[in-house]
Amino acid sequence: MTDMLTIALSKGRLADQAIDLLEAAGYDCSAAREKSRRLILEDEKAGLRFIMAKPADVPTYVEYGAADIGVVGKDTLLEEGRQLYEVIDLGFGACQMCVCGPASLKGKLDQIPNKRVASKYPHITRSYFEGTKRESVEIIKLNGSVELAPLIGLAEVIVDIVESGRTLRENGLDVLEVIADISARVVVNRVSMKMKAQVIMPMLDALRGELVKQKAQGEEKAAQ
Amino acid sequence: MGNYRFHTPDGVSDMLPEDCRIKRGLEQKLRTLFEVSGYSEIETPGIEFYDVFASGDFVSQENLYKLSDHQGRILSLRYDGTVPAARLAATLFRDTPPPLRFSYIENMYRFSESGGGRQREFTQGGVELLGISSPQADAEVIALAIASALEIGISDLQISIGQADFFRGLMEQWEIPQEDAEEISRHIDQKDTVALEKAADRFGLTGSAKETLLLIPALFGTYDTLDDFEKRVESPRSKAALQNMRDILDILDDYGYMKYVSVDLGMLRSLDYYTGMIFKGFTYEIGFPIISGGRYDNVVSVFGRDLAAVGFSLSLNLCMTALHRQNKEFVPSEVDTIIGYSCQPGMRRLALAMAKDLRSEGLIVLVDCEGMNEEDLSLFAEKRDIDQMIFLNDGACDCEEEEI
Repeated sequence: MTDMLTIALSKGRLADQAIDLLEAAGYDCSAAREKSRRLILEDEKAGLRFIMAKPADVPTYVEYGAADIGVVGKDTLLEEGRQLYEVIDLGFGACQMCVCGPASLKGKLDQIPNKRVASKYPHITRSYFEGTKRESVEIIKLNGSVELAPLIGLAEVIVDIVESGRTLRENGLDVLEVIADISARVVVNRVSMKMKAQVIMPMLDALRGELVKQKAQGEEKAAQ
Repeated sequence: MGNYRFHTPDGVSDMLPEDCRIKRGLEQKLRTLFEVSGYSEIETPGIEFYDVFASGDFVSQENLYKLSDHQGRILSLRYDGTVPAARLAATLFRDTPPPLRFSYIENMYRFSESGGGRQREFTQGGVELLGISSPQADAEVIALAIASALEIGISDLQISIGQADFFRGLMEQWEIPQEDAEEISRHIDQKDTVALEKAADRFGLTGSAKETLLLIPALFGTYDTLDDFEKRVESPRSKAALQNMRDILDILDDYGYMKYVSVDLGMLRSLDYYTGMIFKGFTYEIGFPIISGGRYDNVVSVFGRDLAAVGFSLSLNLCMTALHRQNKEFVPSEVDTIIGYSCQPGMRRLALAMAKDLRSEGLIVLVDCEGMNEEDLSLFAEKRDIDQMIFLNDGACDCEEEEI
């Protein structure tokens, strides 16, 4: 049957890094390098088809089997909660999912009753407060510049990804609690993993091998 | 008001004649296979009390379609075939000595996300084998699942078999409490080795224990996988689980089905439901498993009878999609023959008798109701792609038969 692999990439930096890694691991990704606005990039010879998707949609494509493999941030995976195999931590795109708010709230988060929490990630927020902290909160879904919410009194705290923390600090906010470590992951459709094992397994092994190699090189450089 | 009158709700759809014919064909094949295999078909109500599905804690309430009766009691649409069969076995069949073999082909209703082949109303065919806890019973159900898929034309088939007790035994051996074990099982089921490694460190698993844990989601095979784990585990429960798998494989080999099966001990979904062997079936061109089954010895006891249970269900809708995409679907013809007749006396009687004869031979026959003449009938037959056209004219001996 068709052994063409469909790989869903999160448009943007994550896609570029994923392509770099795939190429380093010995896969011809020239199709994906093509600078164009096409959303499906196919290389029949290499047996690879890339689809450029919005990050939040990558888990959906993979869960439904429209793509066999996806590369996507752990934040998106946590938010979407899809039934997937999450097989490799690629390490790049590293950041943390945090509860943030005015620094004055540090250590006092639990003292505020009936919190309003603003976030781009309502599911992560709900599962953290309801599941982990066993607390009901009012969740306000925002689509960006979430830091604004506590500043103008829309919410007491926010749940967002924090990379360097610069935006937070410049707005007088701070990390109050860390929910999870985030980085790019390779995900695989549950059926593809079985039906296309003979192409997917070697690819995963090659990627893992390349990651180990790069890590060793990084350490060597650091030692020098 | 009336804004929705042209629409169907999310996750349900009309099935048009061609799909309906295909589906009925598949259902018929399944029904016959279940019957000749000794699984009597049952029909349970489309509406049950909510408690039937909610009691065992096997189904999350978000996924149940709920309504209430005139006394305010909560009802639920049929969620699956297993729970109602378990209820039957423990109530109406309470005095019937085991084993019980039931089959069903029914629509199920699940209030979960739809799309991509997933529907909120869908047809499942499946069987329940109640009252026998043996590898023979396990293998019989897996073999029937394989036979079902093959029977309806899914020839590219892979069945993965796991064992819930293998994992439970390991958790006992390593003295990991229930809640943590659940977290670990989730990571294994998602093949999330990153999280699994962290969890291993957190729960103090080191050396070979950690290695074994990380191998669970990684190893697929048949006897070789079982051998690998055999050397690594001490728990009698896990060892018994591995022996059960070995027995199942031996029996499936006798069935001649070894080429379809592989072992995947990392399949750990719905651990509170499955008590032994778990299996799923996959084919190309569809992103979801088409078959799902296993042993769930605690389900009937929810209804007050202690009865072992093993079964499977196959999603007819997903199979139809897969067959269509694999270009393997068989489309039965819509009409084989159309019969028209002239207005001469006796022609209609002849046409109706002829239709009856042909239909008794299994042909699909239309008799014209519009009084078409021969030419119109011929055009009609051509347009509708009808193989055979018969026009009766001026006595039986003169009947003209035209092949188009």
